[in-house]
Amino acid sequence: MTIRHKKGILLFFALVLVLAVATACTQEAAPEAEEPAAETPEAEAPAEEEPQELETIIFGDAGWDSLRLHNAIAGFILDHGYGYDYDVIPGSTPNILEGVIKGDVTVLMEMWQDNVPIYPEYREAGTILELGTNFDDNAQGLYVPRYVIEGDPERGIEASAPDLKHVEDLKNYPDLFPDPEDPGMGLIVNGPPSWAVTTIMEVKGAHYGLDEMYNISGSGTAAALAASLSAAYERGEPWVGYYWEPTWITGKYDLVLLEEAPYDDDLWNEEAGYACEFKPSDITIIINPEFAGKNPAVTEFLTNYETSSALTAVGLAYMQDNDAEIDEAAEWFIQEYEDLWKDWVTSEAHEKVMAALK
Amino acid sequence: MNEFPEIFELNAGDYVETFVKWLTTDHMAVFDSIRDGILAFLLRMQSIISFIPWFVIIGIVFIAGWRLKGVRSGLFYTLMLLTIGLLGYWNDTLLTISIVLTAVIISLVIGIPFGILSANYKRMDNIVRPVLDAMQTMPSFVYLIPAIMLFGLGMVPAVFATTIYALPPVIRLTTLAINSVSKEMIEAAESFGPTPWQALLKVELPQAMPTIMAGVNQTTMMAMAMVVVSSMIGAKGLGYSVLIAINRTDIAMGFDAGISIVFLAIIIDRLTQSIGDKFRHDE
Repeated sequence: MTIRHKKGILLFFALVLVLAVATACTQEAAPEAEEPAAETPEAEAPAEEEPQELETIIFGDAGWDSLRLHNAIAGFILDHGYGYDYDVIPGSTPNILEGVIKGDVTVLMEMWQDNVPIYPEYREAGTILELGTNFDDNAQGLYVPRYVIEGDPERGIEASAPDLKHVEDLKNYPDLFPDPEDPGMGLIVNGPPSWAVTTIMEVKGAHYGLDEMYNISGSGTAAALAASLSAAYERGEPWVGYYWEPTWITGKYDLVLLEEAPYDDDLWNEEAGYACEFKPSDITIIINPEFAGKNPAVTEFLTNYETSSALTAVGLAYMQDNDAEIDEAAEWFIQEYEDLWKDWVTSEAHEKVMAALK
Repeated sequence: MNEFPEIFELNAGDYVETFVKWLTTDHMAVFDSIRDGILAFLLRMQSIISFIPWFVIIGIVFIAGWRLKGVRSGLFYTLMLLTIGLLGYWNDTLLTISIVLTAVIISLVIGIPFGILSANYKRMDNIVRPVLDAMQTMPSFVYLIPAIMLFGLGMVPAVFATTIYALPPVIRLTTLAINSVSKEMIEAAESFGPTPWQALLKVELPQAMPTIMAGVNQTTMMAMAMVVVSSMIGAKGLGYSVLIAINRTDIAMGFDAGISIVFLAIIIDRLTQSIGDKFRHDE
């Protein structure tokens, strides 16, 4: 036993030694390997007549796909058109917002201001700079899969709620969406607890009288919400809950947004129970003010940057259909919608981006 | 030379994804019944716990602390529970306890027999150990999403995920405990010609008990550590309050809910530990 032990220890030390030597060697080798890579941007820099070092642009990734796609599109254009390096940093919306204020994050391409109650304060105080609208034709609300209302002969699913159109119609179907944790009650899956919209949905539920027969229950995280919907859809089961567009989920699955009264400013408050559909919210692009001041070219480009929910969904659908990475989808988008973005950039940047695509 | 050649490509995850999809669509009856079973157990547990008046629970904890550790500890635990109540997290605490307890019970029911088997069969031990390593180190969100696909949102996937994380210590320490029962003790017992069951129940297990209890204690602590993670898939309780607080950058609320988790964990830790010490007394 002891001899075997000793052998084991020896072997362990031998391994550690090998690893140590290997690390030391790579450390020596590393600078050599990096040099050729570093040469290219330096060689280009004088030609652009911009001898000073450009800051790296850091995009915030608050965790959903449309934002990732916009990050990749803007990143590609800034990288190839303007010579900026870019990086993406993940985090929750409040953390990213905090990062934009501090300068750890440079840009957030989609600021869903309705979801962050404190945001207007930040904007007023000038700790962040709002550059403009990315898109404003988005939708949100309660969704059900289309097969719940119309059935799906191909999958052998019968319509289980043919008369479900308006949110209020849900009153007739609590048994269709049962809550396993609370027998006798229905379940409306709500958004993550931190989103302001989650509270709005609760108020809406109370207003429509749905809270008597439904638990309107938070889903913890956006990922959990997506998994819940996706599992129900794959199984062909009824599901009702909060979702929003544009997402890959709304691109991939055939969902129906339940109707509500048209948006009305007078109805959109807590006393009135938010008794109308969501106002398409302005999804804006925000930037760290200090960075914006120092880099007018970036500011100008991002101020011009404007897409739409429908266009974003096309990009996301391309990604899902072709099993493409975000970067591939971004390049495809840039190729496909040249007319859209060529007005956002200088003609010089336009040429460079087009050259980089080939 | 430093780059791994790109022409060699392995998409192991795709097979796992296909597998999970296949489970969700083709075998949902199996998982539905597992879910219903766990859920029934959980709801029963919850209704029992919330049926007991709050002062009775505090009383029980006081007496347990006093008997197992001393009056001062008993008073201290009482104070901690009262603080949780005053902070307004009593109901959340009960929810959390029922999820943690369910996960711990499932872990023990699975873990102790597995630990005993691993101690007796070397080959089994060789298979179980890397699996346990994977359970402890695999980032929990990786299996949380499949857990939602299989069990839906809420408490059941929370119990599932908590069990995965909390199971390894009890298996490891049970194996260790049985293996370190002294040779002399076993030889002495064998001279009476016991059946294997007798040897296990009358000699090995009692001897191994203090170490097994340390495993139970560790398992419970691991389960407590998963409270916030399981709230990310919609399980209510203390973790949910922490999650809300984190997302709103509400430091006050985060602290209140966080300290409640700490108090609860301390009480559970000290009590299970001292139960283990009682067994050590017999040695």
